[in-house]
Amino acid sequence: MIKKKILILFAVSLLFSGCSNEDYEELNRDPNYPTQVSAEQLFTSATKSLFDQIESTNVNQNVFRLFAQYWTETTYVDEANYDLTNRRIPENHWSELYRDVLFDLADAKTIATANGNENSTKEGQISILEVYAWQILVDTFGDVPYNEALKGKEIKSPKYDNAATIYTDLIARLNNALSMLGTGENLGDSDIIYKSDVNKWKKFGNSLKLKLGARLTDVNLALATTTITEAVNAGVFTSSDDDAKISYEGSTPNTNPIWIALVQSGRNDFIPANTITDHMNTLNDPRRPMYFKQNLGVGVYTGGIYGKQSSFSSHTHIGELLHDPTYKGVLLDYVEVKFNLAEAVEQGIAVGGTAKEHYTDAINTSMTDWGVSATDAATYLASTTVDYDTAAGTWKEKIGMQYWLAMYNRGFEGWYVYRKFDAPTFNTAFGSGFPVPKRYTYPTNEQSLNEANWETASTAIGGDEQQSKIFWDVN
Amino acid sequence: MILTLFMAFVVQLTFAQQRTISGTVTDENGLPLLGATVVISGSSTGTSTDFDGNYKINANTGDVLSFSYVGYQGQNITVGTSNTVNVTLQLDNTLDEVVVTALGIKRNKKALGYAQQGVGGDDIADVKSTNIMDALSGEVSGLDIQSYNQMGGSANIVVRGYSSLMGNNQALIVVDGTPIVNETGSTTDQKTGRGGYSYGNGAIDVNPDDVADVSVLKGAAATALYGSRASNGVILITTKKGKDTSGGIGISFNSSHMIGTADKETLPKYQKGYGAGYGPYYDGPGKRWNIDHPNYDATNPSENLTVLTGEDASYGPAFDPNLNVYQWFNLIPEWGNYNQTSPYVAPNSTANDFLKASTTFINSLSFGKSNDKTTFRAGYTNMKQEGILPNSEINRNTFTFNGSQKFGDKLTVYGSITYTKTEGLGRYGTGYDGRNPFQSFRQWWQVNVDILQQKAAFDQTGKNYSWNMYGPGYSNPLQPHYFDNPYWDRYRNYSTDDRNRYFGNASLDYAFTDELNLFGRWAYDSYNEVQEERIDIGAVDVAEYRMRNNIVSEMNYDLILSYQKDLNDKLNLDALVGWSLRVQKWDRFSGVTNGGLNFPGIFNFDNSANFLTPEDTYNYDATKKVDGLYARASFGYDNTYYLEGTFRTDRSSALPKANNRYNYPSISGTIIFSKLIDVEWLNFGKVRANYAQVGNDLDPYNVFRTYGIGAGFDGNALASNPNTLNNIDLKAETTTEQEIGMEIQLFDSRFGFDVSLYNRTTKDLLTPLDVSNSSGFSSIWLNGGSVENKGIEVFVNATPIRKDDFTWDVKVNFAKNKSKVLSLAEGLDFLQQASVQGGVTIGATVGEPYGVIRGRDFIYHENGGREIYTVDDAPSSSWVGVYKRTSASNHVIGDINPDWTGGVKNVFKYKNFDLSFLIDIQKGGDVFSLDTWYGYATGIYDFTVGTNDLGNPIRNSLADGGGVILDGVNADGSKNTTRARTDLYTNPWGYARTPNAAHVYDASFVKLRELKLGYSLPERLLKFSPFHRLSVALIGRNLWIIHKNTPYTDPESGLSSGNVQGYQSGAYPSVKEIGLNLKVEF
Repeated sequence: MIKKKILILFAVSLLFSGCSNEDYEELNRDPNYPTQVSAEQLFTSATKSLFDQIESTNVNQNVFRLFAQYWTETTYVDEANYDLTNRRIPENHWSELYRDVLFDLADAKTIATANGNENSTKEGQISILEVYAWQILVDTFGDVPYNEALKGKEIKSPKYDNAATIYTDLIARLNNALSMLGTGENLGDSDIIYKSDVNKWKKFGNSLKLKLGARLTDVNLALATTTITEAVNAGVFTSSDDDAKISYEGSTPNTNPIWIALVQSGRNDFIPANTITDHMNTLNDPRRPMYFKQNLGVGVYTGGIYGKQSSFSSHTHIGELLHDPTYKGVLLDYVEVKFNLAEAVEQGIAVGGTAKEHYTDAINTSMTDWGVSATDAATYLASTTVDYDTAAGTWKEKIGMQYWLAMYNRGFEGWYVYRKFDAPTFNTAFGSGFPVPKRYTYPTNEQSLNEANWETASTAIGGDEQQSKIFWDVN
Repeated sequence: MILTLFMAFVVQLTFAQQRTISGTVTDENGLPLLGATVVISGSSTGTSTDFDGNYKINANTGDVLSFSYVGYQGQNITVGTSNTVNVTLQLDNTLDEVVVTALGIKRNKKALGYAQQGVGGDDIADVKSTNIMDALSGEVSGLDIQSYNQMGGSANIVVRGYSSLMGNNQALIVVDGTPIVNETGSTTDQKTGRGGYSYGNGAIDVNPDDVADVSVLKGAAATALYGSRASNGVILITTKKGKDTSGGIGISFNSSHMIGTADKETLPKYQKGYGAGYGPYYDGPGKRWNIDHPNYDATNPSENLTVLTGEDASYGPAFDPNLNVYQWFNLIPEWGNYNQTSPYVAPNSTANDFLKASTTFINSLSFGKSNDKTTFRAGYTNMKQEGILPNSEINRNTFTFNGSQKFGDKLTVYGSITYTKTEGLGRYGTGYDGRNPFQSFRQWWQVNVDILQQKAAFDQTGKNYSWNMYGPGYSNPLQPHYFDNPYWDRYRNYSTDDRNRYFGNASLDYAFTDELNLFGRWAYDSYNEVQEERIDIGAVDVAEYRMRNNIVSEMNYDLILSYQKDLNDKLNLDALVGWSLRVQKWDRFSGVTNGGLNFPGIFNFDNSANFLTPEDTYNYDATKKVDGLYARASFGYDNTYYLEGTFRTDRSSALPKANNRYNYPSISGTIIFSKLIDVEWLNFGKVRANYAQVGNDLDPYNVFRTYGIGAGFDGNALASNPNTLNNIDLKAETTTEQEIGMEIQLFDSRFGFDVSLYNRTTKDLLTPLDVSNSSGFSSIWLNGGSVENKGIEVFVNATPIRKDDFTWDVKVNFAKNKSKVLSLAEGLDFLQQASVQGGVTIGATVGEPYGVIRGRDFIYHENGGREIYTVDDAPSSSWVGVYKRTSASNHVIGDINPDWTGGVKNVFKYKNFDLSFLIDIQKGGDVFSLDTWYGYATGIYDFTVGTNDLGNPIRNSLADGGGVILDGVNADGSKNTTRARTDLYTNPWGYARTPNAAHVYDASFVKLRELKLGYSLPERLLKFSPFHRLSVALIGRNLWIIHKNTPYTDPESGLSSGNVQGYQSGAYPSVKEIGLNLKVEF
């Protein structure tokens, strides 16, 4: 009797909790977030993340404007003195690119190519952006995980690959991507750069190819030559209209990240560095009123001594344009293309035109982009210190100086110019006395999370030091 | 002991003359009992018997004498007319010390095959702490309680070390059978020092005044019946019940008032020689001034200088009473001294004067009764606390009711409910954030600032006039630069919170027969909390309003059929089978305004400057179910041998379908060897051993991959992969533990110890393991490895003195735990726990203890000396004379795990007085301080001024004979003789020039944790009063840090409970609390 009662009780209680395994599994699915998304949604997200990382001037994220010595810091001068570890800057740059850009792009590609939809324009668009992000990684660190990267739980500690080998593969990937453009579906309006204009993507892909080739001129002239000539023959940017850029929006989180640092923060962390104000003052550069504010008086531009504590009030401030939340973000522009072509001519690569023509076009375009009047631009170009024929120094020094000046607000490219052209002259950081880094040191968490591979890579590049050079930087 | 305490309540009020009562206490065979306790109930008067079992005590007619002896049933005898009272105590086979074990099952302690340690309610409630868990600190061996000196903040509760690693390590807390949700609700940012408030852990809602006793189950065998969550140990709390109130009417009132002040040893000591600035980088004399004031005249360059108000460091010019300068308060238009200069001198009040005394009032009233059929108790407690920071307050009201009723012989119904309402105002901001005043006070500060003038500025203008205003030369000279006026911050950027919580249970107990019993219980715990955080317009940070609403509930259903039978004269069986279901629900929402606020002082989402996007809101709705079946059988033989086995199987909805069931067995055995050896001095002796496995699951939603939704851009929807990769192949983790122990009571139980040795291994750790970000994820959910915790726990009790009216009891706790990571998931080298500001990582690789601190180290010469840069090998001139540091950041520079922890409690009783104090000890364990990392660079501390070996001020430039010679060696091993400059922030002490290792400190401490001096009104006075019992006590908490090695801080002052320990940033000082406690019973 008792036994029966008990059995019934237990039976009832089991029924009460009588959830099947399927019911239980259903409880474990989060109803608030999607499990299936489109390639387009991932692509937009990755694009936005890429632009944000390249544009940012948050000291935790991106300190290239400091490395390029366009800007310096006012009170907290650690980053200008090349302290990368305190704020884990390499880690943040690395994880943004791998995790928030490249993985989402890889996932987008998987979705876009499902069901036999391979080799479409979609895939081409995604691949081109991937190549862009990979190149930034290599140019920042040198050898990085590549073949074994982005494999999630399959490979948790990816091996690093040789930077030069990655470059070769990136060129191949780019060629492959370019061949897909124009076939099958495109990404439509989710492409916030060109709204899937195939011709623009072709030009972008080729301009990127030109950029990759230009990196290689000092180390592998043969590969550089084929890459550059192929790109130029296929058609690179022909005007600023072709630039790979986006317009930011007026409210967070879609504002230009510079606005966050310069305006919304209410802080005065950055001022132009004396490195750029000195060079521009010498050249009487008409872009100064756009690059900088004339807060010290009309025509007065005094940058802070690079790496030294500087009073905000007694130095020149950053220009008004960069205080606009909707200010454009740029991945690649016509100015850059033109300077790369100028260099190609000097390297003896048949790209058409003369170095001077490309050089002059580049400067002119930069002037126009920044809103300098045609007359001022012409005066500047006519001056003996600027005119390609009369300007002092080697072609590297001439192109290096103007290329660097034009890349203001594109810190990463400015830093590239310095590393590649060894021009113009930069300052050692005042506080630490350290010279300009040749690369970012690897993220500190790679030292613990991926230790063996980090050690191998560090040895391979000549030590995980700021002064170890990227393979294309031979001088 | 518990029995005598209980007896103390059962007292009768009578009137009589005091006289001497004497007699003999014998056992059932007529043999005298040595050391039996005789206590007058309701008083602390007591004595014990001598070798012949004789005793003498002064008592009044009507007093109840309570006789007790370990292993025997106690007896109460009311003093009548006779002056002789002889007593025979019966051997107690059933009562002994009954303790509460898993699932609320009451067991005889001596039969337990695992470690259990109890704490009496008075030990918790006598010396008030607002978090019940704080009151357990130092009381139980192997129970590591840490709190962080934040008003109402969380307590970290870890038993036998960290075993689950990245998951939850907090012990399960059960109140009268109801598992209590003990989540902290702290954000990851808060736990890793990136700012935020600590709103306390869930167990804070258990009211110490309602607690009768606490039982701590440490090992897996003790807790295996609880299933999943028991792998971290269980703290079982039994609340007070109504009791037989013959002699009183059952009302008790308890009031305490405490006042707290910050312990000066845990506060910065500021230098008084130099004011604002970072070094000789500016203008004016010595390049240490702002010369932008309109009155500045370049022809008189030492007049009308302005302090560098915009800089948040103290490497400026030397104070000089003859030098009149513009200071921040001379720049305020509303003030009388506007645009006048003032002498540049050290202030009267430092930042430490920002703190005020804290006050805590706790009043509780309860009423309870019981008789054969009915028991009930109702209680109300109000706790009102003001913290040491301005505008901080917590108000908590607790109502509790429990009761039971017997229906006939077979059915007993029990029910309880506790309702707690907590309202908080101005919780302390934590970590590296502007809401934490100690971020500034310890790291970025100007010692020329008189904090009380900051108060005056806020009080008189209501504006955010900060010491750190930009100053002349800026377009916005009066705006704060990096830091707000701390008073403005406390009053305008405050948090509020409100939590309504209900917990309790209802149960039925039905006895089919004497042997067979069915027990059913529904236990519930639910709360709804709202947390609001504000930053007003005008602050340095973008104004915002943030709101979180958490609705959390947990229901536990249990059905247990138990069977007890004496199988023969000697062998008895105690068995049960049970079923349980746990249903947990979370419904969380949090939102924050986007891009600032439109109207000042208005805090709601309507006031958001921009639309809210997916990046501003967070939704989490989840339900988790775990059902289980379990069985236990325990055999006892001759009250000497015990053998117990348990088995449980669970199914969890949070695990993947294929692996959602997991089983765990346990077995334990006990031999009471004192039964086998007949030695007089051995009162009790037992050995025990056990083996158990406990499974553990995880939180919901870590199995299936979901995408994050981004803020729309240019009309497009954004989706992205999460930073943590979920995993469909997960399975339960398993903790296996072996434990052996011995318990001995000697010399009439005047000395005893209980020692446990354990070895617990957790394998298949369910962990979101941090991985190289190049994998595409920051972390991946994995069964990530295995970790071992080995340790020893010792509890010693002694009674060095036991005289008629004087006793001295000592309790000592000691625990040592060593953890080691045994293996990690394939392809992984390192288990990363946290990566924190300063370039420091906390984690472990295989073979290391869990919780190793890594960062940049000194470079040591082979002779052991720390190498120093000389002119010849420094990378630049600014590195000359400072320590070299490694370029890699993966050097082991510390270990957060203590070598051992312990506590010593002394209780002295003299007549009606009692004095007790608890010393809490931690040996070893390291902590990295972001406070000294930055603060040593900004020159605010006392040691950054003074004179050097040459007799010159060290703040002079090297050319003027300043600087210091560090203790170190040159590259060739010879003693360092190179002077490092110390006239600016890149000094050889702070972050700019030191390795992380220079800021790792030994976290050892010896603390006087609790002190109580009590007095109970004797019977002869009570009888003229309306009181049944009255006692007063002087009480103190954290009164004295007897020893520590961390400079300017409390080694315990970390951020929050959880797995990220060993890191300090913006640490709060320890608060010394002293007060009075009054207990009255009617």
